[in-house]
Amino acid sequence: MPLLKNKIVDSFLIIFFAVCFISAQVSVREYKIKAAFLFNFTHFVEWPANSFSTSQSPLVIGILGPNPFGNHLEELIAGESVEKHPLLIKHFSTTDEVDNCHILFINIKDKKTLLSTIEKLKGKNILTVSDVDQFSKLGGMIRLYTKDDKVNIEINLDATKEEDIVVSSKLLKLSEIVKTNK
Amino acid sequence: MKLFITIIRLHHSWHFFLKIFKYKGFYFSSSIVAFLLCQSIVGYAQEDSLLSAANLKKLSLQDLMNMEVTSVSKRPEKLNEVSSAIQVITNEDIRSSGVKTLPEALKLVANLQVAQVNSSQWAISARGFNNVLANKLLVLIDGRTVYTPLYAGVFWDVQNVLLEDVERIEVISGPGGTLWGANAVNGVINIITKKAGETQGLLVEGAYGNAMPGMGSIRYGGKIKENISYRVYGTGFKMESLVDTTGALANDQWAMGLGGFRFDWDASVKDNISLQSNISYSRPNPNGATSAMIASGNNALTSWNHKISDNSDFKLQIYYDHTWRDFGNKFTEDLKTYDIDWQNRFQLAERHTITYGLGFRQMNHKVTNLELFGFFPANKTLYLYNGFLQYDVIAIKERLRFTIGSKIEHNVYTQFQYQPNVRLTFTPTKKQTIWGAVSRAVRNPARIDTEFNVYLNPTSPLILGSDTFRSETVIAYELGWRFQPAKKFTSSLSTFYNVYDNLRSVEPGPSPSNYPIVLGNGVKGETYGVELALAYQPTNWWNLRGGYTFLKKELVVKPTSKDLNKASVESNDPMHQFLIQSTVNLPGNFQFGTVMRYVDALPKPKVPSYMGLDLRLAWKLDKVLELSVVGQNLLYDRHREFIASSRIREIERSIYGKITCHF
Repeated sequence: MPLLKNKIVDSFLIIFFAVCFISAQVSVREYKIKAAFLFNFTHFVEWPANSFSTSQSPLVIGILGPNPFGNHLEELIAGESVEKHPLLIKHFSTTDEVDNCHILFINIKDKKTLLSTIEKLKGKNILTVSDVDQFSKLGGMIRLYTKDDKVNIEINLDATKEEDIVVSSKLLKLSEIVKTNK
Repeated sequence: MKLFITIIRLHHSWHFFLKIFKYKGFYFSSSIVAFLLCQSIVGYAQEDSLLSAANLKKLSLQDLMNMEVTSVSKRPEKLNEVSSAIQVITNEDIRSSGVKTLPEALKLVANLQVAQVNSSQWAISARGFNNVLANKLLVLIDGRTVYTPLYAGVFWDVQNVLLEDVERIEVISGPGGTLWGANAVNGVINIITKKAGETQGLLVEGAYGNAMPGMGSIRYGGKIKENISYRVYGTGFKMESLVDTTGALANDQWAMGLGGFRFDWDASVKDNISLQSNISYSRPNPNGATSAMIASGNNALTSWNHKISDNSDFKLQIYYDHTWRDFGNKFTEDLKTYDIDWQNRFQLAERHTITYGLGFRQMNHKVTNLELFGFFPANKTLYLYNGFLQYDVIAIKERLRFTIGSKIEHNVYTQFQYQPNVRLTFTPTKKQTIWGAVSRAVRNPARIDTEFNVYLNPTSPLILGSDTFRSETVIAYELGWRFQPAKKFTSSLSTFYNVYDNLRSVEPGPSPSNYPIVLGNGVKGETYGVELALAYQPTNWWNLRGGYTFLKKELVVKPTSKDLNKASVESNDPMHQFLIQSTVNLPGNFQFGTVMRYVDALPKPKVPSYMGLDLRLAWKLDKVLELSVVGQNLLYDRHREFIASSRIREIERSIYGKITCHF
């Protein structure tokens, strides 16, 4: 009997792990779509002239915090450039590391850390994007949120103006405009 | 990289198949897993092309904003609600009816057979086979199974909840309607209490009446942080005895106290964690003995629900349950249950969903045997391993849904049992759904079937359980129709045809004495019926709900059996049942509730048909105070609902008054 019990436990463990593995594949879809949004933003946003050291220096998309995109961002931008600036992905684990970056996807959930991060990034002319709850109301620039199973855009125009970032009217038309909570 | 992973997956699954092919009972489920894995490879490939970098790059912002993040279909209703015979009563239905206890509340559900046997005992079942030891129903309170392995049934005299804090009670009749659970042969009752965040503030209530000479509850709910809420409660009641056939009090009073707490933590937008614990103490006296039985219990349950996306989530649940019962004649039962369950639902590809679960339950069961009556061995540990897998696909513009799945269980008596089911749901218009299902379910042996012995004297056995007792089986064919012709009118019609085999029989022993009697599996047969449920709101101050149930049983003794019960399986069921509940909100903050219930005669032992009428009038003085008066069983001085033994008990007309304060 003990032998049988072991076999049963084994089979259950195998099913369990096999299926867990399969399930991990699925939450990927959401981030593939969000990666495509980040890619699109590079075409609808203008940075101040001093953000680029030369006319052909890379346009950097950075990810701050744990990376939810896998390697999908790298796949999307491979070989692409915007107005002669080639696209480049960088991964940052702390806010202090962030430098020479044009779009930063912030994957930090804790409100306090988020606020201090947004504060620290001021003056660097970085377009901040996130899908964390309340992001734009806390001073972040673009928030991607899911409504009715589709991705929508929320833009905090005051925050973008403070950093001299110009958002194309084509993007503004499709977004909801919000203000920072005082 | 992907190819490598796919190869490893195939390698693992091949080894898996080699192992499990040795087990007979696993053939069906292994073929499902094979199908599943193949499907996942195909599905994965499909998903890939749609969301490839090359494709996504080409899409405009507008296109991207039109892409569904998780799936093609949104499913606000749970899968099993659409294609099964489910009936639900809400907190409001329970309150406006004036019912006093959980078993009484179950009378409000038209697809259940509910009969009060005496002051503290009920016979409750679905789709027939009702008796005090009814064993074909699975009952869950917030996910915790409440049943005794003694006879695979429920001791209703210890199951209670603070009714004010019940969110809803779902009753699914039929086997395939549940994703899992042992003994859910004829149905599942799911009692769901409100989250702590919804029961905030102080609640104090007290009631007094001739059938209930005392009831009081107190509950307090608060918040520790913005996202952690809790409640603490205590409640107790005394029920008067019922009367015997001459109208004299039968001395079967019942008193019970119950208390506990619950914490709910909304850890994130996607996570919530719940912890609850309850303790109970009950003094039922069904036999009218000089001192009542004692039944006490305590339990603790924790669960973690995580939402991955709109169509994928998982749940982990762990609970511990300890019950102790002294039957008053020195026979005692002590049961400790440890249970861990995992459930996960996710999308394989657009329109394809997989749900699976794994669970393990250990029950340490100890009895104190009497000299001539007992379970052998006195102490037994039962292990139950259980898993299920279900695949769901939507086709033809979301009009058609196909589900196939199987439960697999391993129990100590009959080893592997598999319970496959197949369902098809067709939604031709937004207002109509037609569904059909074929399912197989089993009722596993309980200790009473296998290890129960009664002796006349130490050398003469009277009744012997048999370790060759097999699981009872049913194959259920169901067809249903759900129709919502108007926003305020819903109707649901379910029909079923159940084919049973290996039902419990009582076989005589060898001649000349014909003792010892042995329990066997000598009965088979069919049952069929119809369940209709309606809900209608004629005006916004008047709510009506009701139902009708028809049941016919045709059971026969198998040729190899000499069943002394002549295929009755000790069950006693009415052919027709009818219920109407009305709630009217009157001006001046009055509410008037009516419950009218008709139950057809029971065949054997004969119980005449009866009509129940309960009325409740409530007045909300202000936000804090509510006064109510409830009259129950108003049509007869006294009436009987079920006969379980020579002690026939009848329920008298009764009235009680209640004060409820919400601070």
